[in-house]
Parts: sequence; structure tokens; C-alpha cells
Amino acid sequence: MFMRSSSKRRLAIFGLLSAAGLLAQDAPLDSRNAFKIKLPDDSPVSFVSATMGESRATARGAALLLDLHMTLELRNISPNRIHGVVLRVVSQEVAAGGKASVAVPSLNIKPGDAFPVRIDLQLIRPTQATSGGPLVEVNLDGVLFQDLSFYGQDLLKSRRLLTFWETEAQRDRDHFKRVLAQSGSKGLQQEVLASLARQADQPQLDVRVIRRKTVSAAAFAPERTENFAFLKFPDSPVEPLDGSAEISGGEAQSPRIQVRNRSGQTVKYVEMAWLVSDASGRQFMAASLPASDAELYLPPGKTARLLQDTELLFSRRGEPVSIQKMTGFVSQVEFADGKLWVPTRQNLENAALLNVLAPSPEEQRLTDLYRRKGLTALVEELKKF
Amino acid sequence: MKHPTQEMLALHAGGDLGWMAAWRTGRHVAHCEQCRDEVTAFSEMRDVAPDLNEIPEVAWNRLAAEMNANIRLGLAAGECVRADEKPLRHPLFSSARTAVALASVLALMMTGIVLEHPGPRQNFAAIDGVVVQSTKDGIQVGNGVRALQLMHTGVRDQDVIRSVDAQGAMRARYVDPETGYVTINNVYAE
Repeated sequence: MFMRSSSKRRLAIFGLLSAAGLLAQDAPLDSRNAFKIKLPDDSPVSFVSATMGESRATARGAALLLDLHMTLELRNISPNRIHGVVLRVVSQEVAAGGKASVAVPSLNIKPGDAFPVRIDLQLIRPTQATSGGPLVEVNLDGVLFQDLSFYGQDLLKSRRLLTFWETEAQRDRDHFKRVLAQSGSKGLQQEVLASLARQADQPQLDVRVIRRKTVSAAAFAPERTENFAFLKFPDSPVEPLDGSAEISGGEAQSPRIQVRNRSGQTVKYVEMAWLVSDASGRQFMAASLPASDAELYLPPGKTARLLQDTELLFSRRGEPVSIQKMTGFVSQVEFADGKLWVPTRQNLENAALLNVLAPSPEEQRLTDLYRRKGLTALVEELKKF
Repeated sequence: MKHPTQEMLALHAGGDLGWMAAWRTGRHVAHCEQCRDEVTAFSEMRDVAPDLNEIPEVAWNRLAAEMNANIRLGLAAGECVRADEKPLRHPLFSSARTAVALASVLALMMTGIVLEHPGPRQNFAAIDGVVVQSTKDGIQVGNGVRALQLMHTGVRDQDVIRSVDAQGAMRARYVDPETGYVTINNVYAE
């Protein structure tokens, strides 16, 4: 009797799982008509193929969920190595007030080689909305080459982003290569394991950012104005002077920081990192605070104010984080000639920031490579640069 | 009397047998109370199947690759820590047993993560503005009842690094398990 009941249960579970899998496919979509890929005539990458995953539309009450999956294969048809690409993802009928992109930094693509970019997205729109033409258009926003030259429309400031990631990548590759040269493969292994341990322990906040159409006093009632404390790096070309934000429990609004250019060169972009501490004193990376002025011009010795009029809601595991203290430091500076400054590894280590800040994309890639393929693969990868 | 197998009865309940097998099974069920009860039970279970619509898809191959990578990492970390120690000879601590135990714990944890992860938040309608936020498996920009979400399907939540800028942009960064490249999804509130 027991045997019979057990086999019946097993079969029933198998049957139910199969049925659930079938029911999840509400209505299939033709991905080829849903996506449109547009590359400029003089693009340094050419379109090789697009592999469409299973895409479907699911009705949820008055809303329609459209799941779209695609892997693009692009080829480097330029004479230079490609180190990063940004694709702009635009949905005219859905993203009124919003846009998106998929960036792939830390590449090392030789002329003539092809590389994949995966795009998985979901659109939510009212059921009654009608669609004319493709649901999503994918365009090339920018390509960064090995020599840091750039191609693209740069509508999403991809040049600066890709250059920033590449600068960090060079810094972190050099760090791992130095460890390998000084301490051998065992030393490199211990450094990578330390990085993986930091990544596993790093607390992440859930942050929700609201950019309101109208300013409403009722929407946010600040309890207090909290001042920033600053970490200052000796070699930073820009120094923070003072700053504050309006705080109410786990919400912050209108962060603003005044900075001074103490270098001998004109600065055209500054970004601050913003850390918050909760009631237990635990520190979290909350957000970055970029210069609000797209045309920032900061000559040597002059000051400027970084100001954003957004609302940020911080939570962790579903509970609001009570903000007790705020700390800021300069995380990125771009000079008028396009060169970038980022904190050195030494800066970050000295300020005990490695335990709070996320690793760079390159450190993330290299440690993941070690995790998946082992030490030999990592050493071989470092030799390629 | 020889009863049809459980599989035959399940298929019969769903009307999925060929006509000959269906006729033979139907004839047996008509005269056998025990098998009739089985068929009724299978039919009832089919009725509750729609309620399981929300069971998440599980990428088993990716989970297996992740587990292999984590086992490798665990063993490498262990080797580093006890570089000078003599290895234990007791069969209880053989590497195969350790790997199996570790794999079991990881499988249990991953199942928990997959099944218990909170659902996405999509309540933008009450907010007069554009909202960017993280969801269960992606990052999203929304405005009223419309939203655009870039997803990091098949990547463990703890392997995704999310960051925000106060201007209204959000990023989700991860190593794509299919391409091996770092991929950074970005959504922006304008």
C-alpha cells in the first residue's frame, strides 16, 4: 500500500510540474518581429546573427508582460582591438520617461573576431495598448578601443563609462599581475580568494530611486538634514568641501556636495561615492552622486556643487534602513582632455573601502574566471594583457 | 487480474493514450474499482495544475555549472588554508564525501533561494514620476503602468552587483554564464 501511494505521489508531482511548465507559456511571440537592430553604416562592428530565445506574452490583470530574449553576435570589423561596447535599448511604446542599455566592458576582441551580447528584457504595458512596428529597437551607443579612442553617438555617456571601467580594469589587472610577479601563483590564488570572500560578505542595499514629475511637499517630509563626512585621498585632483542630504528614516532626498578642483587642469566631470551607515554602524555603498551639470567646467582652484533632485529609498531584506551617518569620497574625475582619475588600490585599501565597495567589473570577471576554470586559466588570461 | 501501470492510468486520465490502449485501459477501469479510484485521483490533480503556474523555471545546467565552480572554489580555499597540514586519512573525510556533502548543501541553498525569493515590485501607479528599482531577477524603469525591465536570467542573486546613481540610473552587473563576459544592464529615469 505504501509503495503504491509513494509511486502515485511521485508520478503526480512529475505530472504537475510538467503541466505547470506548459501553462507558463501563455502566448508565444515572434522575437524576429519584436526586435529591430540598427547599426550605423560606418559602425566598427557588424551584425553577424541573432539567436532568439523563447519569447512570450502573459496577461496579468490589466497589464501585459512581454518577455523577450535575444543573443546578438557582433563582429569587430575595425582595425583595432575592442575593449567595450554599449548597446542602447529603446522601447517607444513602453518606456515613456525611461531608457535602458546593455554594456559589455572588459572585452579584448581582435579585429575580425566575433563576440556575443545577450539581451533579456521584459516589457509591461496596458493590455489595450497597440503596437505598430517592433517592440524594442537596439542601437549602438558606443565602442571603446584598446587605445581608448571611441566611436559612437554617445547619447548615454558611454564614452566616459567605458573609459572609467577600462581605467579601473587596467588598475586591477596591474594589481593582480604585480601580486603574481612578487608572490607567485600561490600568492595570486590567496589574493583572488580574499577578493571572493569580500564579495561574498559585501552587504548590498536595495535602493529605489524616484524622479518625480511634480514636487510635492506631502510626498517627502524630511526629519533632519544630515551632513556628509568625507574620506580624502592625497592624490585626488578634486576635494570635497561640504555636503548634506535631507533624511527621513530610510529615505534621502536632494543630496548635494560642494567640491574644489585642486589640480592644475580643468575638470569636466566629478562623481562622488556615497556610503551610509545604519543603526548598528554597518556601512553600505548607497549610491554615486554624479555632477548634475552636463556641461560642468571647473578650472583649477574653482568650486562647484554636485546636486541631484531625486528621492532615494534604502532598504535591506524588505526593511527600511535607518540612515545614521553618511560618508562620501571622490570616486571619479574626468579632465577636459578626456583623461580620467580613479582612486588607486592603495587609496581604497588604506581607507578600508575594499570591504564596502563592489569590485571593478574586471576584478569581478577575473575572480569569476578563477572560480569557474581555476588558477592556470587566470594566469593565462593575465598574460593576454 | 493484471492492472495497468501507474503511467498508463495517468495518461488515461488525461486522455493521452492511443485509441487501442485507451480502449483496453477503459475496459479494465470500468470493472476495477481500485484503478478507477486511481484515475479519479489523477484527474483531480490535473484540476489543480493551473495553481502551479507560478513555479519558477530552473536552469539545471547552469545550476550544475555553478555547483561545480563552487566545489572547485571550496576545495581550493581549503587547500590554501591547510597548506602545511597533513591530510586526514580517515575515510570519513575523503574528498568524494566532502564534495557530495558540499554539493547537497549548495543544492538545498539554491532551491531555497529559487523558491523563496520575493517577487518583483511593480507598483508604480501611485507615484507621479519615473521609478527605477531592482526586482527579483532584474532592474526596472517604470512610469505608471508601463515598465521596461532588463533581466539577468540564470545568474545567482549573490553574483549580481547592483549600483545606483542619484541622478536616477541603476546598474546590475554580472558575469554572463553563457558568454563569459561581464555584462552591465542599465536603466535610466529621464
